[in-house]
Amino acid sequence: MLSIKDLQVSVEGKTILNGLNLEVKAGEIHAIMGPNGSGKSTLAHVLSGKDGYDVDGGSATYKGMDLLDLAPEVRAREGMFLAFQYPIEIPGVNNTSFLKKALNEIRKHRGEDELDAIDFLALIKKQMELVEMKEDLLKRPVNQGFSGGEKKRNEILQMAVLNPELAILDETDSGLDIDALRIVAGGVNKLRSKDNAFVVITHYQRLLDYIIPDHVHVLSEGKIIKSGGKELAFELEERGYDWLLEHA
Amino acid sequence: MADIYPDIKTWLQEKSIDTHASDYVLSPERRTESLRAVAENNFPTRKDEEWRYTPIANVVNRSIQSGTDLSIDADDLQEIKQIVPEACHVVFVDGQYSAELSDDLAAVAKQGVDISPLSEMNASQGQLAEAMVTNANFSDTNIFQYMTLGLVNSGLFIHVEQNTEVEQPLHIIYVNGPTKSAVVQTPVNFIRLGTNSRFTCIQHFVNSDESKAITIPADFFDLAEGSGIQSYRIGVESDQTDHISNSYARIADSARFVSHQYLLGSRLTRSNTEVLFDGEGAEAVLRGIYLGDNDQHLDIRTYVDHAKPNCMSDQHFRGILGGKARGVFNGLVMVQKDAQHTNAEQSNKNLLLSREARVDTKPQLEIYADDVKCGHGATVGELDEDALFYLQSRGIGREEAAQMLIHAFAAEVTQDITIGSLQPYILEKLDKKLSEISGP
Ligand SMILES: Nc1ncnc2c1ncn2[C@@H]1O[C@H](COP(=O)(O)OP(=O)(O)O)[C@@H](O)[C@H]1O
Ligand SMILES: [Mg+2]
Repeated sequence: MLSIKDLQVSVEGKTILNGLNLEVKAGEIHAIMGPNGSGKSTLAHVLSGKDGYDVDGGSATYKGMDLLDLAPEVRAREGMFLAFQYPIEIPGVNNTSFLKKALNEIRKHRGEDELDAIDFLALIKKQMELVEMKEDLLKRPVNQGFSGGEKKRNEILQMAVLNPELAILDETDSGLDIDALRIVAGGVNKLRSKDNAFVVITHYQRLLDYIIPDHVHVLSEGKIIKSGGKELAFELEERGYDWLLEHA
Repeated sequence: MADIYPDIKTWLQEKSIDTHASDYVLSPERRTESLRAVAENNFPTRKDEEWRYTPIANVVNRSIQSGTDLSIDADDLQEIKQIVPEACHVVFVDGQYSAELSDDLAAVAKQGVDISPLSEMNASQGQLAEAMVTNANFSDTNIFQYMTLGLVNSGLFIHVEQNTEVEQPLHIIYVNGPTKSAVVQTPVNFIRLGTNSRFTCIQHFVNSDESKAITIPADFFDLAEGSGIQSYRIGVESDQTDHISNSYARIADSARFVSHQYLLGSRLTRSNTEVLFDGEGAEAVLRGIYLGDNDQHLDIRTYVDHAKPNCMSDQHFRGILGGKARGVFNGLVMVQKDAQHTNAEQSNKNLLLSREARVDTKPQLEIYADDVKCGHGATVGELDEDALFYLQSRGIGREEAAQMLIHAFAAEVTQDITIGSLQPYILEKLDKKLSEISGP
């Protein structure tokens, strides 16, 4: 589904990703771990098409397409989704109508009929239960006045409604209490199927108690320095990153 | 046949006291004096501090014609009336009151309003109007005010009786037919609210694409104790129309003046709103949006004079400018020495959608009292790239995402519109214009 080869990315002349390789197949969950500043968010942003990053080399192929050549909205319509580490507030843009618009853009792209207000409401009600989100948050502008946890749940709600093929979760667990963490993980586990894939970026091992990854990668200084199964996460939990960094 | 004049000054030279007006509308002395002031004064230039950002050479040099064929498309007019279906509609064509096209004013009178077109004013109405002009102490005195007072050839006198809550809004529509040269229209409205009365009034400046006009309106508001008005000005005139307006509001104890301005049309608009707190516990709420494209020039000036203590003023203006459009916000809040416990807020935010668009914003506070709460601020920015990306990352195309953000920017002002059908009309107009606006 996603194939990243020797990806090199810089910002204003400063190299951030430095020869990154990653293969993600349908049905898989990949966890990417790594210290602060190792380039995790940069990877997520580059994959979803954010401006301001220079790709200096390498490639990223998604469903056979040159991913880096697609506009951000086209990537989304092709089934990519990024749950932001820091979801921003968008004053004046209503949460529900925004999400309805987004879903219908994606449906249009797939050649499906657009959902009308009633069908959409039914869908969103169902998905809101999944993330245990309060209904009045739907009536507000996107993320405005939401607590940190509510913003993260809103990201998962959007993911549940848009039902992506490839979802990248950028530290969705940061700043969440255990209850919220369980809800977020529950959302992912409900959605996972043999046809979609998740890349879960996390700083802590604890999320992986709830979302069991097939592969764990350690990112350091813009490179994946070690990959393994879920046991690698436990090892990291016990020994920290330092032993790896020394050997790298 | 219409007479053609090379410019407005030449056109004005022939003017003596207009015969359209009733003898009572303003005193002959006032009118003669005002016309003399017109003859003796020059049009403001950019050397004049209050007009620094707004050149009007192209306005005063336009060729003018007198008289028109007054041909108005009845369907178009009907459509405009339907924007506020519940309202009483009063129509002015090329600045002249049209009884034929207007609703029966008797229906408004029945609701406790003394209302009359200027041409039919009586002596006691005239005296009240005269007093309103005497009390209006504009901080920016200009030749355009003298023109309206000297000509006084059209407009309305409105006096809402005390303790009267008028539910039906008054929808004043200013239209123009197609003409070869510009028509000058100078409507003057005298709007008085009796003690504890309520009134809603919409002034709608709307003409066809072929209309050429110079619209020079003046409004005088007088709000008695405990009264309240919602006053709307909607400018959607053609790009061959220039518009220079002056409003003066005197507000007594516990009265509330709410002004909404939506400036979307015209080639050049200069809108000056001045408010005098002449009593305590009063409120002035000023809202506005200016949306310009191509070579449009939209200038909002406000002057809020806190002359008495315990009053609140709240201003919020937003500008959206594309193409080579220019916006100006020039607002001053004056807090006089005795105006303790003043609460004044003034905010101006601008979105520039193209590299050549420009805005000059000058929010100003002058405070001579010590126990006050005042704030002001202005921003000029482009669309938030992070917000655009967020929307795009959910599948929404960039252009549409931009429109959503601009719409949201405007909607924070339009949410204060109190007339149900007016809000969708304004937002639709905004969206339509935004979809055509020239980007970078
Ligand atoms: N827009 C930017 N401009 C300059 N430096 C940046 C920018 N974005 C990220 N960086 C730098 O790139 C490195 C990786 O950042 P990031 O991808 O956010 O790391 P992580 O998500 O792993 O904490 C950091 O050193 C950070 O300071
Ligand atoms: Mg990060």
